[in-house]
Amino acid sequence: MDKDLDARFEKLERALGSMIDSLAKNNPSRTVAEELVAAEAELAEGLKLLERHQNNAARIQQLRQETSLLDTQIKDIASSLWTMRKELKAVPVTTHPPAHPEYRFTTAELLAYARRISRNTLPLPGVTNGVEIPTPQPPSQQQASFSQPADADDSFRQTQTPNTSFNLSFAAPAADASAVFPGSGALAPAPTALTQDTAATLPPSQAPLQEKLSAAAATAPATKAAAESKLPTHLRPAVNPLRDATFLPWPSEARIRSGALAAVQALVDAGINPKGYDPAEEERKRKRAEEEERERLRREAEEREERERRMREERERMARERERARMQSQQEAGLVPGLERRESLLAAGGGGQKPKQFTFLGADDDDDDDDAD
Amino acid sequence: MESEPMSVDSTALEPPPLPETGADEPKYGGHTRFELELEFVQALGNPQYLNYLASRKFLTNPAFVAYLDYLQYWTRPPYLKYLTFPTATLKMLELLQQEKFRQDIISPDLANALALEGMKTSVEWHVEG
Repeated sequence: MDKDLDARFEKLERALGSMIDSLAKNNPSRTVAEELVAAEAELAEGLKLLERHQNNAARIQQLRQETSLLDTQIKDIASSLWTMRKELKAVPVTTHPPAHPEYRFTTAELLAYARRISRNTLPLPGVTNGVEIPTPQPPSQQQASFSQPADADDSFRQTQTPNTSFNLSFAAPAADASAVFPGSGALAPAPTALTQDTAATLPPSQAPLQEKLSAAAATAPATKAAAESKLPTHLRPAVNPLRDATFLPWPSEARIRSGALAAVQALVDAGINPKGYDPAEEERKRKRAEEEERERLRREAEEREERERRMREERERMARERERARMQSQQEAGLVPGLERRESLLAAGGGGQKPKQFTFLGADDDDDDDDAD
Repeated sequence: MESEPMSVDSTALEPPPLPETGADEPKYGGHTRFELELEFVQALGNPQYLNYLASRKFLTNPAFVAYLDYLQYWTRPPYLKYLTFPTATLKMLELLQQEKFRQDIISPDLANALALEGMKTSVEWHVEG
């Protein structure tokens, strides 16, 4: 660029020199002047180019700075990333416990729970709470199976699922009636007799019942085996032990009333603070107190007996001493006949070997004598 | 049926702390708090009982409502497995958290309808086909 400009300056200078020369020789030449103008124009163009060049250079400089700045930024970021990664890797890993504690359970526990709640979630077979349960078997087929008890068992085995069979097995309890209540077979002929005997005497209001009974009586002889084991339709509910039974999927009122809360309420009503009061514990305490009372009475009786025994012994001892004192005083007074009398008494009793006993008897007598005195 | 408020300021779903040792645990009429609360939370499954509670103005008592909120710890382990009437208990406990239900259950019609529906469903749910 510099060379280019230098060339243009030289060219201008030369054109100017030749122009000055031509002017100095007083011979201005038109071509020289034109050359000068052209050289000047060229120079101006070159200067413009220079300006653009410098602008571009400045721009390049600026861009370089920018790129270097960005480079350093990138380097910074990269290095900070690297250090961060290093720091992250250096952080010791701590295992955080889950927010909610996990409760693991085994299949056995699950099954145990299912068994525990099953009596509260599944009604007993035959308890329908008044809900009509669709039976998968057509009625005629059921009828056929009822007349042949052996087949009836098979039909129960054929049912698709255990759940439906629960309700099906009680759908018509007459089939089981003979099995469950062996005596019920004897009841079956009764309607027949009733029909014949009381047909004329029945009031008109009982006519529908009468018709039903006759119908039952009419069908009864048709299948003799069935008649013996089958109850009329209207009597079937009577032999169903679960008649009118309802199933509640929650604690019944009776159960709530007989529960622990009711017991606590009863305590509150009785004016007892239930906190820390245990009826069973109180009962035990009461029993223990009774036991202790009995023990005390027994001990007292023993002590009384002991005391009485001791008193008796004391009395004997005192009596003996008194006797001895009396004897001594008698001996001292020289009352030999008294002693003789005693010896003769001993001889008469024949108990010479047991003087102590006689002494005691004698002492007792003497004691009485003393009292009399 | 209430003796005294046991604790109503605990946060919902947080079960009470376990007692230190069995010997020192206070008993109410010879029963532990666990037994009494288990019985009560299950009794809540009975619509007629709820109707009775509502008629005695229990369900509008803020302390009792807070107690119902507190009883929700039965919906989570380890207490959940002790419910022997899980279906009705959990549903009623859920419904009892709603203001509207607590007001509505005072109607005997609703209690009867709930009872009938519950009895019907308990028979129907396992019938197949």
